[in-house]
Amino acid sequence: MIELLTTKYTYLVVVALLGIGAYVMIESDNFVKKIIGMNVFQTGIFVFFISSAFHTAGRSPVVQSGGGGGPFVSPLPQVLILTAIVVGVSLTAVALGLVVRIYERYGTINERTLEEVRADE
Amino acid sequence: MSLSVPVAVVLLFMLGSALAAAVIRDVVGSIVAFAGYSFGVAVLWALLRAPDVALTEAAVGAGITTVLFLLTLARTTVTRSDRFEGISLRSGLAVVAIVVTVGATVPALPAVGDPSAPILAGDVSQYYLTNAYDQTGVTNVVTAVLVGYRGFDTLGEVAVVFAAGIAMLLVLRREAFV
Repeated sequence: MIELLTTKYTYLVVVALLGIGAYVMIESDNFVKKIIGMNVFQTGIFVFFISSAFHTAGRSPVVQSGGGGGPFVSPLPQVLILTAIVVGVSLTAVALGLVVRIYERYGTINERTLEEVRADE
Repeated sequence: MSLSVPVAVVLLFMLGSALAAAVIRDVVGSIVAFAGYSFGVAVLWALLRAPDVALTEAAVGAGITTVLFLLTLARTTVTRSDRFEGISLRSGLAVVAIVVTVGATVPALPAVGDPSAPILAGDVSQYYLTNAYDQTGVTNVVTAVLVGYRGFDTLGEVAVVFAAGIAMLLVLRREAFV
């Protein structure tokens, strides 16, 4: 157990972040908070990728002119996460746009109130 | 690598602010806690030797995302509250299921920073590190992979951002961005 905590600590944080994100998405009845939960969940996966690329003695993946100079951390997961961060922001933007539209149409951003308003119509 | 003090502090800060963002019912407070969380994540990237990701996270994650959340609040309503979120059977079960399922895979993963881990010792990473300068003339391997080897992936990313922009215009029924 202690060995798990000292050698795989970032993965434990990933598990906790996924749990927190899922909890907010399900439990909160405010749409904006649900999107915050989605972002936390997403970042948990980013932490998994970046920490899996980490090398104890590694340097940032900037090679010397002509190549070499290692050891380096792995560049590939970092590239994937750079792409994922930008896609994640696009997702957040569209989700928040939908929240604004829901508010314009129904006058609420609360899940339970929205269900009541839609049931009345 | 055994746990170093700066990384431990940042990880604890991240967990604390993520928990704060989760349990604070006041939406503005939750957004502020989330901005702090994004800042902690950016610092973690810097500590894990990922400066490109740290810069993007600080600008996009902590900056633009927070602004988007606050703009949304400005155009909708703000529900102020001094209470905390509760926990129901539904969300409790989901969280337990996720934590148990994902947590069960953790003991099988290689230790953080282990040089013999497949991702570091494997052919793909080593190929990029060995050949990136000769083939692209760029010293920053992350940039070389992003716009060189995986250029089509980045083109797809730009397409996603474009589609998101169009979707925003459609959803908000506008002819142009404000």
